[in-house]
Amino acid sequence: MLLKLSWKNVWRSKARSFVVIGSIILGVWALLIGTGFMNGFGVSYMADVINHDVSNIQVHNKEFKKDFDINYFVSNGTEKAAKVRTWPHVKATTTRIIINGMISSPKKGAAVQIRGIDIANEQKVTQLDSLLIEGSYFKGLKRHPIIIGSKLAKTLHVKLRSKVVLTFTNDEGLITAGAFRIVGIVKSSSVKINELYAFVKQKDLAKITSIGHQVHELAILLEPHVNEAATVAKYNQTYKGDMVETWKEIAPELALMQQMYNQMLYILMLIIMTALVFGIVNTMLMAVLERYRELGMLMAVGMGKANVYAMILIETIYLGLVGAPLGLLAGWLTLSYYSKVGVDLTEYSEGLESFGYSSILYPYLENNVYLIVTFSVVVTAIIGALYPAWKAVKLNPVEALHKI
Amino acid sequence: MSIIKAENITKTYNESTIPVHAINGINLQIEEGEFTAIVGPSGCGKTTFLNILGGLDKATKGSVEVAGVNIGEMPDSKLIDFRLKNIGFVFQAYNLIPVLTNKENIEFIMLLQKKDKKERETRAMELLEQMGIADKANLRPSELSGGQQQRVAVARALASKPAFILADEPTANLDSKSTATLLDIMAKMNQEEKATFVFSTHDQRVIDKAKRVITLEDGVVISDVTR
Repeated sequence: MLLKLSWKNVWRSKARSFVVIGSIILGVWALLIGTGFMNGFGVSYMADVINHDVSNIQVHNKEFKKDFDINYFVSNGTEKAAKVRTWPHVKATTTRIIINGMISSPKKGAAVQIRGIDIANEQKVTQLDSLLIEGSYFKGLKRHPIIIGSKLAKTLHVKLRSKVVLTFTNDEGLITAGAFRIVGIVKSSSVKINELYAFVKQKDLAKITSIGHQVHELAILLEPHVNEAATVAKYNQTYKGDMVETWKEIAPELALMQQMYNQMLYILMLIIMTALVFGIVNTMLMAVLERYRELGMLMAVGMGKANVYAMILIETIYLGLVGAPLGLLAGWLTLSYYSKVGVDLTEYSEGLESFGYSSILYPYLENNVYLIVTFSVVVTAIIGALYPAWKAVKLNPVEALHKI
Repeated sequence: MSIIKAENITKTYNESTIPVHAINGINLQIEEGEFTAIVGPSGCGKTTFLNILGGLDKATKGSVEVAGVNIGEMPDSKLIDFRLKNIGFVFQAYNLIPVLTNKENIEFIMLLQKKDKKERETRAMELLEQMGIADKANLRPSELSGGQQQRVAVARALASKPAFILADEPTANLDSKSTATLLDIMAKMNQEEKATFVFSTHDQRVIDKAKRVITLEDGVVISDVTR
């Protein structure tokens, strides 16, 4: 009957209960929306970087990344890539020749990372073709086609079919150059793709550098949501001596970002729940003071302090249990809608893209967040009820019974 | 057998500043089955004395034994349980739980006593029958008249079959017809259920019905008449 009595008590003052329930709904909704939108930025940025740039796993010669020396290859890289491609949970692999150099147009020059790519496999690993905003994916030009980022094209004042010259140091330490013609311009939220990379066919770059079939980098893309650890362990067991890194090691800022977004959830939760606690304390205190005489009567006739305490606590938990699911539903519906249609932030696209963010935001929330939020609302309700419940059990029945 | 035995009860407020003696050395015994009215003018100490007898307040001096147990020395936690099992209360303002039905209000005390559902329901209905308001069982207190609400309060007090019932000005808010009905019912319960009633009142109708009338003035008993 304590449960029944508490439930009925909740609805004594409907307006007051609806205010608390409303604030819980609003708080939970705001928490989910805020977190979902923040996560959306992070997830889309990370997905862009992983899917279009670093992939899940990269393999290099242990010495290569120290100085990007052209002579440090992954031994039998092409064969290894072909073999790894057959492993479970591996979606695609590709190989790259990577040389740091300069790109120059008749008007300007810039530093670039020249990436000699296996165009068929690169397409599977980074979907480079999907980033094209102009031109084609190495089609229409037979001799030395090159794809560059939109920002780099702007810097160099070049457009499709413009001629650019790549200059770099070859395996003998001599300056080498090659003329290329722009076949495509790509645009991505990745700053590197937009400004720093120049993509050329692997065989063209191999010919200029005379490095034959050697490659500097293996990129491995895994199926979605697969942990990289198992594949890394298998690679290290199968091929010893290479440097194998996951995206978290290659781009530690992404791991940090992921961590930061997780922490932001808790910070946001703390802020909203703190505000909610005060609302609950206020309401429940009013409820206790309003029923002062009745509580006095209950204690006079023999209702123990523990039962009175529990009754107030249960009433508050009920408020949370009514409000939280409605807030969760409202949040889930809002997020589901916007995760499909996206939030158009093109008005701020320039600013967002300079930070590597997409101008269309797709909010995203993991399912466990809903559980965490539900749990935190119940805990908040309990915390909010502690003081009013304490106030209730501290009353003197004689004084309470004579209160007007 | 004495249900209540009060010895040299004194209650002093503001002991450290300006002491006010609400009760001043009352000695009293109330026997099982009595129908007793404690009367006197406002401020004579009736309610304070009743609160002390009911274990709601502590005497500054003296001892109160209820059913052979000294309740003055009982810690609060035990006293609550003792009240639940041994004392029934009827208040001037009825003090029913507004969100429960009349039947649930009566059952509530038995629920605190952990009595099973069947026993609770049977007893509640039996009492409502005796009070003449069985048809109002599933209504809420707000749907009843003041007199009917007070009858529910009496039924609630009787529900746990306590050693005695303390009623603080039970007719103060009632019209004469409701008062007469209530008093008849309480007298009937006193005879049929052997329930011991102790009232504080200054209502002449209650005084007329009482078998024993104890008159207080300035915190002392000035007369104790058994009819």
